[in-house]
Amino acid sequence: MTTPVSHSQILNSADFAPITQRADVHAISRPSQSYWQDAWARLKKNRRAIVSLWLIVGLLAFALLGPWLWQIDPARQDIDQISQAPGADRSATIVAPYAPWDGTVAAEFAGGSGLRLAMAANSQAVRLHWDAVPGAAGFRLYRNIFAADDEMAFGLPIADFPTPAAGYYEDRLDLRPDTYYYTLAVQAADGTLTANYQTLAVPVNRVITLDEVRERELAPAEAALDIGDEVHLALHPLGTDYLGRDMLARLMAGAQVSLFIGIIAPFLYVLLGVAYGATAGFVGGRVDQLLMRFADFVVALPFLLFMILFQVVFGIGPGESGIVPMLIALVVLAWPATARLVRGQILQIRQEAYISASRLLGARSSYLVWRHMIPNTMGVILVTLTFAVPSAIFTEAFLSFIGMGVAPPTASWGSMSNEGLARMLTHPHELIFPSLFISITVLAFNLLGDGLRDALDARMRSFE
Amino acid sequence: MNPPLLEVSNLQVEFDTYGGTVKAVRGVDFTVEEGRTLAIVGESGCGKSVTVQALMGLIPMPPGRIMGGSAKLRGIEILGRKTVEGREVRGAEIGMIFQDPMSSLNPTMTIGDQIAEPLQVHRGYSHRQAMARAVELLELVRIPEAARRAAQYPFEFSGGMLQRAMIAMAISCKPTLLIADEPTTALDVTIQAQILDLLKDLQAETGMAIILITHDLGVVARMADAVAVMYAGKVVEAGSVDDVFYRSSHPYTLGLKQAMPTNKRDAVQKLMPIEGSPPDLFAPPVGCGYCPRCPHAMSVCATQPPLPIPVADAHYARCWLHHAQAPHSVPGIYYGDGHD
Amino acid sequence: MWKYTLKRLIQGIITVWFIATATFLAMHNVPGDPLSGQRATNAAIRANLEAKYGLDKPLTEQYFIYIGNLLQGDFGISFTQQNRQVNDIIREHFPVSATLGILAVIFAALGGVLWGALTALYRNRLPDTIIMFLVILGISVPSFVFAALGQLTLVNLNALFGISLLPVAGWGTVSHMLLPALVLGMGTMAYLTRLMRSSMLEIIHSDYVRTAKAKGLPAARIFTRHQLRNAILPVITVLGPAIAAITTGGFVVELVFAIPGLGRYFVQAVQQLDYTVIMGTTVFYGAFLVFMVIVVDLLYGWIDPRVRLQ
Repeated sequence: MTTPVSHSQILNSADFAPITQRADVHAISRPSQSYWQDAWARLKKNRRAIVSLWLIVGLLAFALLGPWLWQIDPARQDIDQISQAPGADRSATIVAPYAPWDGTVAAEFAGGSGLRLAMAANSQAVRLHWDAVPGAAGFRLYRNIFAADDEMAFGLPIADFPTPAAGYYEDRLDLRPDTYYYTLAVQAADGTLTANYQTLAVPVNRVITLDEVRERELAPAEAALDIGDEVHLALHPLGTDYLGRDMLARLMAGAQVSLFIGIIAPFLYVLLGVAYGATAGFVGGRVDQLLMRFADFVVALPFLLFMILFQVVFGIGPGESGIVPMLIALVVLAWPATARLVRGQILQIRQEAYISASRLLGARSSYLVWRHMIPNTMGVILVTLTFAVPSAIFTEAFLSFIGMGVAPPTASWGSMSNEGLARMLTHPHELIFPSLFISITVLAFNLLGDGLRDALDARMRSFE
Repeated sequence: MNPPLLEVSNLQVEFDTYGGTVKAVRGVDFTVEEGRTLAIVGESGCGKSVTVQALMGLIPMPPGRIMGGSAKLRGIEILGRKTVEGREVRGAEIGMIFQDPMSSLNPTMTIGDQIAEPLQVHRGYSHRQAMARAVELLELVRIPEAARRAAQYPFEFSGGMLQRAMIAMAISCKPTLLIADEPTTALDVTIQAQILDLLKDLQAETGMAIILITHDLGVVARMADAVAVMYAGKVVEAGSVDDVFYRSSHPYTLGLKQAMPTNKRDAVQKLMPIEGSPPDLFAPPVGCGYCPRCPHAMSVCATQPPLPIPVADAHYARCWLHHAQAPHSVPGIYYGDGHD
Repeated sequence: MWKYTLKRLIQGIITVWFIATATFLAMHNVPGDPLSGQRATNAAIRANLEAKYGLDKPLTEQYFIYIGNLLQGDFGISFTQQNRQVNDIIREHFPVSATLGILAVIFAALGGVLWGALTALYRNRLPDTIIMFLVILGISVPSFVFAALGQLTLVNLNALFGISLLPVAGWGTVSHMLLPALVLGMGTMAYLTRLMRSSMLEIIHSDYVRTAKAKGLPAARIFTRHQLRNAILPVITVLGPAIAAITTGGFVVELVFAIPGLGRYFVQAVQQLDYTVIMGTTVFYGAFLVFMVIVVDLLYGWIDPRVRLQ
């Protein structure tokens, strides 16, 4: 046993006087917090969840306020700037309107031999001319965007000339500010190519006519402009897609569609699920059996397969966006999970002693539902809702990606990704931006959901 | 007198929680004699389970932390051992059973396999030998049809049966000390008595010492040789069972006794609850932890922590009332033979 | 257990019937005549179909013809490809999808269990933080993005090394399968990792692991005998839905990697509104998924003694 210890302090008799004034023994030493206060305090401590919350606010602002700040029609095509990467040069030189060409060579391009330019090349036209090749039966002219390194890779054949004489050609086909490689291949008498060819690299400058500048309001109306002056084409901060539509505007329009489906659909089906599950759980008995048996069947349906089937059945007509059919299909197929969850919760709560106590005190059913059952299932419902959003966004993206979602020209992040996929190797920004938006949105909702679950689920608390 | 089997001194354990650091055990001392039963008594949250879990190396770290102290089994330090010798002590030298047998057994392993495990690990038995021994152990704890039962899973057992299986598992390596952490709390009253009888019989057969954690004074009276009363992370009174029951020296022990129903015919006294609740161990009190609830508190109690003061041989109380300068006039408190 | 198996099988059959009926009704509610328009201009196909489905007969009769055909395992003839049996299409393309899917499921399950257990053991330390960050990415990035990025990376890697490390698209050899299977299993693996982690954490804090520690068992034995086995159980219960996710995810991955699987064929059929192929593959996929879920549940029952013995 412990050895006797003497107290070292000097104590006087006053120390041994009984305490007469006493603090309240029932006082609670720490302030009490309500469930929601406590949950909010926990959530605030979770930095990832709070960052995600702000991210979601930002995304909503992007979708709702963005188009108001960036007033570009997402459907408008800018054919001068197709598949343009973000931050590309957008200067253009003003030139005279196009005039037909009769093959004359401009003074500063006189001289030289072989395949060569007849005039300064610009995006209005590339004008080439060449000398006669002795022994040739004819020529074939090719255009490519890469330098040809063998006879197999000349690119697009644009014209045939069945004569060995000197000739000229004007190319006006979809010219962009880029370097083009023109190849003039010599044909033999039977029309096959010989090993004899000459290639010319042509850097093309972007030009625009004065009328176009005025029409598209690229410069202030009062500005005095002349041929040779430089103007800037319309700004596309995130580039353009394969039809020359502004990516930023389309991402905003896509955000509206994706977030609309991603938030409204879960809201509706969670609401439906809560009503269904609460009814089943509260009424109980045979009604419960019947309702849940039906829910079991809907759960057993392969979800995405039936989403596709629904989309086929609804058959998006011309001019329709396909948003409403997807919303309906999501709601019809996705509610049972919530219904099961809420029913389970309600059944559990019904067993609790405080419900019996409340009943004994004469509470009516409606009071029980509103005062006890709903507040006690609210946390679970909120967490379900938060996790339902990313899954709905995924579903929308998946369907749009396989072409079963929203119909063109309506933009959604999924359909934009689908369109970007085809040009992934040459214009990766068309795929990367919408994919990034999907990923960030889903990430934010997932992290917020994690945070909410940790904050609301009392069972997890002991682990922290 | 032989040296004690287990000697615990100044054990301190803290937990980091969401709300702050809880000083759950704030310097606990006790000893356990060979072959005897020590009961550790106290209300929920007083630190009694944490104390024995610390001995067994079961405090999850983090969030838990052993801040100091020592625990010597036959003179060998066992506290904080994570090594192979530490494992040898746990399971082999000291067995432990828990409050809720339903959740304390692995649901996907047969009872026999779980009893056989310590034998395989500590005694080097083959699986076959260990299983044969497991069946014998089940017979020892009076489970009928032991061979058939050994092949069953926990969910096929009743609560009482599971606790017997837990005991069989804990004593499989013939430990010198068995720690029973509220072994009967989760069981029916009739089963409780059976389990306690079983523990007593096993103790008589094997000569092992027992540390019995409980909040039930009836269980203490029935089982214990010595008692340590814990309050707010400290032992406030310790002594033999007779000392603590009939010569209570701490107002808290007195309060516990008055809150317990008796079946004396002539007892007209009312049950007296202890007013208030235990102190907040996030910020432990400066003085005596019981001071705010103590009807006999003095000025010093609020400012100075009391040290253990012996009132008789092997009987002490952590209370200022026993200080030489205190009035020694509280009715019901035992002040030692010289003062009564 | 036998009774349970029988009950689940009967439930499964009813569900498949429900799917078949729903598919039938859905397809008959498609606006307009499915045979009209440019889709089935070929008179031979049209005549074939009309005879086969009794398209001139009332709906109920058509339904019974349809169910009768299904019972004989006959999914009908393609609308767009003359005399091509849907059965042939499934027989030809499903093995490809199945191979890819099985690889992806194995990859996801093994990876999920391994990473999940690892993160739980290293909780709140660096390996946990890194893996959980990747897991959150894996859950948040759609499979088509993984597919596209995987392909893009591979193209660049091949270009960088000047040799073909792995083929970028197509099907045929094991090397064709690796990247698509990896991409297809990625999301599910991330999901399973999370599940395994939380399941492991719950078990690490469980009473019976405390008992095992009190028994003085070595950490390795506690891990294998007490933690891993119990922690895997919840992972097994979600394998059914995981298989469904991987199957439908296959639609996209097959599309991106140009793999001649049933998924890609199904998507094409949907885009071309080839009704019999849609109906046939939907019912086939539906039946496949329903029975996979049952198989997984039975497997779970066999592994978990609490279910097996009751």
